[in-house]
Amino acid sequence: MPRVSIQRRLIATVVISQLLLAIGLVGGSVYLNHRLLRRAFDNGLRERAMSVAALVRYSEETPPRLIFEADMVPPPLERDHPDMYQVTTLPGAVVANSPDWARASAFDDAGKNGYGDFNIAGVAYRGLRLQVPIFDREPDVHTNDILVVRYASPLDQVNREVLMAGVYTGIGTAILLLLGVAFAIWGMRRGLQPLAQLANGAALVSPSHWELKPGPEVLNTTELAPLTDAMRRMLDGLERAFNQQRDFVANAAHELKTPVAILKSTLQLLLQRPRTVEQYRAGLEQALADMDRLEKLLHAMLRLARAEQGSAANRELEVIDLADSCQNALDILAPLARERSIGVEITRDGATVACADAEDLRLVWGNLLENAIRYTPVGGVVRVRISSDGERARVEIADDGPGISAADLPHIFERFYRGDSSRTRETGGYGLGLAISKALIEAYGGKISAHSAPQHGTTIVVVLPLAQQPAEPALTLNASAANSAAVPERRS
Amino acid sequence: MRVLVIEDEQRLAQNVARSLREGAGYAVDVASDGEDGLFMAQSNEYDLVILDLMLPKLDGRSVLHRLRQSSSVPVLVLTARDEKESIVALLNTGADDYVLKPFDLGELLARCKALVRRGKGQSLPVLKVGNLEVNTADRSVQRDGKRIELTAMEYRVLEYLAFRAGAVVSKTELLEHLYDFSWERFSNVIEVYISGLRRKLDDTAQARLIHTMRGQGYILRN
Repeated sequence: MPRVSIQRRLIATVVISQLLLAIGLVGGSVYLNHRLLRRAFDNGLRERAMSVAALVRYSEETPPRLIFEADMVPPPLERDHPDMYQVTTLPGAVVANSPDWARASAFDDAGKNGYGDFNIAGVAYRGLRLQVPIFDREPDVHTNDILVVRYASPLDQVNREVLMAGVYTGIGTAILLLLGVAFAIWGMRRGLQPLAQLANGAALVSPSHWELKPGPEVLNTTELAPLTDAMRRMLDGLERAFNQQRDFVANAAHELKTPVAILKSTLQLLLQRPRTVEQYRAGLEQALADMDRLEKLLHAMLRLARAEQGSAANRELEVIDLADSCQNALDILAPLARERSIGVEITRDGATVACADAEDLRLVWGNLLENAIRYTPVGGVVRVRISSDGERARVEIADDGPGISAADLPHIFERFYRGDSSRTRETGGYGLGLAISKALIEAYGGKISAHSAPQHGTTIVVVLPLAQQPAEPALTLNASAANSAAVPERRS
Repeated sequence: MRVLVIEDEQRLAQNVARSLREGAGYAVDVASDGEDGLFMAQSNEYDLVILDLMLPKLDGRSVLHRLRQSSSVPVLVLTARDEKESIVALLNTGADDYVLKPFDLGELLARCKALVRRGKGQSLPVLKVGNLEVNTADRSVQRDGKRIELTAMEYRVLEYLAFRAGAVVSKTELLEHLYDFSWERFSNVIEVYISGLRRKLDDTAQARLIHTMRGQGYILRN
């Protein structure tokens, strides 16, 4: 694709339109001039023919004779190509001839009055034939004789004038055209200046400086407002995504340091001095156990990364009964609950269903229930309440644990956030469970929030859009065999 | 020598403690949160404190700040943050050195030994008292150019005495600095090690180096 220039296109458009206008103007004015001058010429021709006719008089004799006062013929307008004329009577008797009339034989009037064009030796002439009564007559004395006047005059004067008028108009128009084009180019450049400014502003945007500062001229340009707005929105989105990714990478690298340090120190400790086979075996098993921890963290980070970038679109979703899904998650946690003698009560208001991936939901409930069970004092109760308001499903998971301090509460859904790390370290957490849950719930258009007061327990509230059809069989949004095979079915 | 490791990551604390015990022959106590760590550091005589920054209850920086109000024990900080500002701030708060996670255990050990040495006013890893040479790097002992084989505990007693050469060291001080909380302490055990050391070091041909100050303790001098 060749590069195109808006400025050049606009200038070309203006130049071409002005050129067309100029051609039209010059052409029109030449045509008009031509017509006007020809009309004037024709009138002059008629007047001169009439004046020649007026020179024909009757003599005083009887019967009177027609005489022509040749010496009263006006001098020729053009010396080189004088006018030519012939005056005859209607029957054909020649009354008078200009000296070179014979040359005008090319003038063919076909016996009718009127104008006609012809050439003599390459010179354009215009002739006129007209019939007039003899002016100098007395009604009682003379017969009513009619004269036929043929008069021809060269056209070159007129043509020259037409040409000159054309040339003057052309020159004037050309000057105006040049001025107009120059003005158009200047105006165009100035008009396109905000675009250049916008480009300069955009060039300054970088990962360390996301703000688009396009300058006042851009902001005051109506046409650029949608573009700048769109660019700003796009940059905002990019900045958020970029920062999220950067933070994630930084967090992940930071969080990986401790498990890596553990694994590395375990192996180095093993190599610190010669050991027995049993000691090496025990050391390697310890290293593997440390490795498991690293692997779990990696797995959790990948799950979070997938959940954060994944939307629910283009995935096979099922209509899931939330109480069943909670119960499934609880079944896996049953040993933990038994160990801590924690009772879990699930209450429901009828069937509450949502469209989601079963595995995702089980992961969310698993995370939330596990937290609740771990933080509830031994022998306590975790209450799960599932309800709906007709549009949205609501799941509340309440524990009577120590609660979360007001300082930590706004941050608990941030990845890798550990308010009091002793709590999560003991439970083997990485501060990712709630972040993963949040990302998953939001991918389904839901919301998750925490309500807590120290010593009064914590309630996590999940709100999800209700599924449209409370149908039992799986609702396939994007049915394909490959997709359905990719979703592992793991019921416990 | 006795070291306190304040580290909440249990596995890491275990590895560091074991490495210090095996690689340097130090007695090691472990505290798993900031409050415990501060209390232990203030109420015992440590030759070195290894401090993690991310700690529950009381973060490492606060531990360091409070510890420095009463103690000049060498402090080595374990950190995962490698930003200059935070390291500068740490050193200015009173840390003596730092290592970045994930660290090299050998390097950590060498730094610990160097800090202990510096804390005792020594700059060389080989301590000399008369014709006795105690090499703290490979934990070997020579007298008059001849290598002397010591048990681990004998070496630890001698190393401590060598660091404090010329000063009277009480049994209590030896117990404080040579045993961590997991050991039972009996002061007569020290006497056993001292007599063992005398037997190996001060053979009849040479001048005695370990002297008993009755009712006060021991002194290592030429």
